[in-house]
Amino acid sequence: MSTPDPDVYEQGRGMDAHNQVMRRIRAQNQQSYDPHEPTRVWLDEDNTPDGVRQSLTIILNTGGCRWARAGGCTMCGYVAESVDGGSVSHEALITQIEACLDHEAEQTDTPAELVKIYTSGSFLDEREVPARTRRAIAETFSDRERLVVESLPDFVDDDALADCMHSGLAVDVAIGLETATDRIRHDCVNKYFDFSAFEAASETAVKNGAGIKAYLLMKPPFLSEEEAINDMIRSVERCSEYAHTVSMNPTNVQRYTMVEEIYHDGGYRPPWLWSVATVLEATADADAIVVSDPVGHGSDRGPHNCGECDEHVQIAIKDFNRRQDPSVFEEVSCDCERIHAGVRKRETSYNQPLIR
Amino acid sequence: MTEYFEVIERDGPARIGRLRLATPVATPALVDEVIEDAGSLWPTERDAPDGDDESLTILPHRAFPAGTASEVQSAFAVEPDSVSFPSATVISRETASDYNTDAYVLSEASGIVGNARAFVETIVDVRASIPDDTGLFCSGVATAANAAVLAYAGIDCFDTHRAYLRGLEGFYQTTDGEMFLEDLSELPCACAACQQSREAFGPEDCAAHNVNALRASLATVREKIRAGTLRSYIEGQARHEAWLTATFRRLDQQYGYLEERTPLVRTAEILASSDDTMRRVEIQRFADRVCSRYRNRFDQPLVLVPCSARKPYSSSQSHGQFHEAINYRAHTVSMTSPIGVVPPELEYTYPAQQYDSVVTGRWSESEIEFVANVLKRYLERNDYPRHIAHVPPGGYQEICERVEARTDVEFEFTVTEHPTTDDALETLSETLSGESTFRKREREHNTVRAIADYQFGAGAGDELFGPISVDGYLPGLRVHDDGGEQLATIVPQYGTLSFTLAGAQRWNESDVPTNRVEIDPFVPQGSVLAPGITSASESIRVGDEVFVEGEKAIAVGRAKMHGTAMENSSRGIAVEVRHVEER
Repeated sequence: MSTPDPDVYEQGRGMDAHNQVMRRIRAQNQQSYDPHEPTRVWLDEDNTPDGVRQSLTIILNTGGCRWARAGGCTMCGYVAESVDGGSVSHEALITQIEACLDHEAEQTDTPAELVKIYTSGSFLDEREVPARTRRAIAETFSDRERLVVESLPDFVDDDALADCMHSGLAVDVAIGLETATDRIRHDCVNKYFDFSAFEAASETAVKNGAGIKAYLLMKPPFLSEEEAINDMIRSVERCSEYAHTVSMNPTNVQRYTMVEEIYHDGGYRPPWLWSVATVLEATADADAIVVSDPVGHGSDRGPHNCGECDEHVQIAIKDFNRRQDPSVFEEVSCDCERIHAGVRKRETSYNQPLIR
Repeated sequence: MTEYFEVIERDGPARIGRLRLATPVATPALVDEVIEDAGSLWPTERDAPDGDDESLTILPHRAFPAGTASEVQSAFAVEPDSVSFPSATVISRETASDYNTDAYVLSEASGIVGNARAFVETIVDVRASIPDDTGLFCSGVATAANAAVLAYAGIDCFDTHRAYLRGLEGFYQTTDGEMFLEDLSELPCACAACQQSREAFGPEDCAAHNVNALRASLATVREKIRAGTLRSYIEGQARHEAWLTATFRRLDQQYGYLEERTPLVRTAEILASSDDTMRRVEIQRFADRVCSRYRNRFDQPLVLVPCSARKPYSSSQSHGQFHEAINYRAHTVSMTSPIGVVPPELEYTYPAQQYDSVVTGRWSESEIEFVANVLKRYLERNDYPRHIAHVPPGGYQEICERVEARTDVEFEFTVTEHPTTDDALETLSETLSGESTFRKREREHNTVRAIADYQFGAGAGDELFGPISVDGYLPGLRVHDDGGEQLATIVPQYGTLSFTLAGAQRWNESDVPTNRVEIDPFVPQGSVLAPGITSASESIRVGDEVFVEGEKAIAVGRAKMHGTAMENSSRGIAVEVRHVEER
């Protein structure tokens, strides 16, 4: 079981090296952000255990992830030190929430049943979001159906959960597990915790009546396309024992990351959208809702196929997210499927990427 | 120790190798079918592979793709266990080192192919870090068009992945590049996959064709290496793709890398058909040695004459006419593109007999400047009482004028139209009236000494030989000391000296830098193999004379690998022994 402070995990040669490199890369980022504005906010619809629901997604600017300050994950470009001083006050966070509500009110008359709050860090980390802020936010959304909050597993404890659940909302904790394979999570993603920490956090959540939404990352650096697919199939299967929803997302090349450095020098290609489809199809029987939201699909820096079929495959994935019916993928086909099959067979970590 | 790979022949950095599996593979070659990948350690731990002699096993690896930070590489680098079956280690530019395997797999290959600068720097670096007698494998990069340049750079093993997948993508590949299959009206190839109508030819066929074309391209490369003509080939072939041309030009800038691997002599002809030929090691080395090692030993005036198409020059009709007019009253030096200036003593010396150029009478600016630079350096080192330029107007005279402007030398020009007109020859003869003549014997002695200077270093001709006598006919002279013991022979084919044991011992004892090879206590029979060598001079090039010394024997012979390769190879013939003596 992990201790609740990610800082102590900065140990071991591999992790040292990854963190050192990530700090150097992140230091090149000169941007700074206003603590009174949310990083992003948008409306969408999501498949939840209660069915497909309107959703309000909020990326809260909390000053960023504690792990990212130590160096952090190789693919994560979400700002680490986005605000001066590194922390955002209760008042500023509440101002951000109000801005999100205004945004929602401008877009729609019916408030979303599902509210998702991400911080690119941990909503349950006292240093990022103080308890009274958590309570105030849960209060604000008490008229909704379900609240999803992002957190590293370390911070999932009875008190933090109680702060979110006191208003009677259904609460899910979204955990960036990335993969069920500890070795890949450590060495390719540079995320410090073990699968056992995810298991423990899940048990704590369930004990408190909350749910778990697991986030997986397809194709961190150093894996071939086939290794990435197999890792995801295994991971979806393993974490559906704990999570009612699994969001399996292909890596995209974000700025100021190690992935970007490798991509820039010709050593990385984001996964194929066919690979996403392959995993969703293969895990359709898993005991969880499995969804995927390919960011930057069809672009060089995002998951992509040949350029002709990307949009169709993306639509099929979105369709699968809602219906969980693998037959949606029978509706799309393209000549490039045989190239994808060839890449799966021929790509290795020492010759990747075979095809850009 | 390299056990299952051996270098058989060398042509610059390119080599014919032998992957010594149950069924041996001649490289450069496709190795897909003999590769066993024990797997990546990134996703999981791996069991030690069993291996077998049917395949080249890639040991469990953590590959670092192009762009991986060095901190990450040093933290995650894997040192493979030593195994007794044919094996390869996955390396990067940064982790490249001697891991005791037969071959090395370069993990950045797909990232650097297409980028001439990164590619050249990486390959030069990696080759310096792994033993010379090991195979270098680049996976996922070879095409019919790039195979020759990749092999020329020093890569031995390839696979079909890129050619195949590009075919599926609809790119039809040939040695001159890639075309969109959909743009083709017919199939410009006679391979098995192309034996069908254009309409029926689909992506799978295109993939099969690309692999066939790559296979044929590699067979061509092997033949070019065996013939010693790979460089001439790529000067033409690489021109179809910008990055390939940039790659061999950038390799020319890595002169040390190429020079170390370029033989002293070849049998193959050099055709100078572009400016790139001028940057070849053979051309640069000849010009440099003429300007820095050779010294004129004649007292007569200098007569510069144009080169002839026929080699050696003295056998040509025009040079016969010059010779008649000059009649031993001058030192007749030929001016030529692309090799610069050729004193008569060195007209047999490689590549003076082995080059040919495309003659149109129109000189390019770079040819003029190259020869002018060589002539200037030559004249700064060699004093003559008079300088006569018996050269036609145009490029030749332009060169002389540039040299006049940059030195104190003033030329007497003896040609107004063409150097072989009666007028011109008469003017030349009259210009030399009253000059003393040299004797045939003097010319022969000077030839021996000049070749020694060229081959062994400035001053070697005097230092090595002292008083000598010669017999035989030019160029096949035999050299004796004043006691009558034979020291050396000029090899007519290459215009180089080969020593007798007495000559080699003299070389070893002299102040002239000696190419020395030290061996274990044994008596070499016919050849010295690399594992028997304890040390070798770094200066040794393929084709060089070498003096071999060990506790049990001394010997003289000709180098079959460069000095560094002799030191770090564990297989292959290093020296072909000519004479040996037990001690």
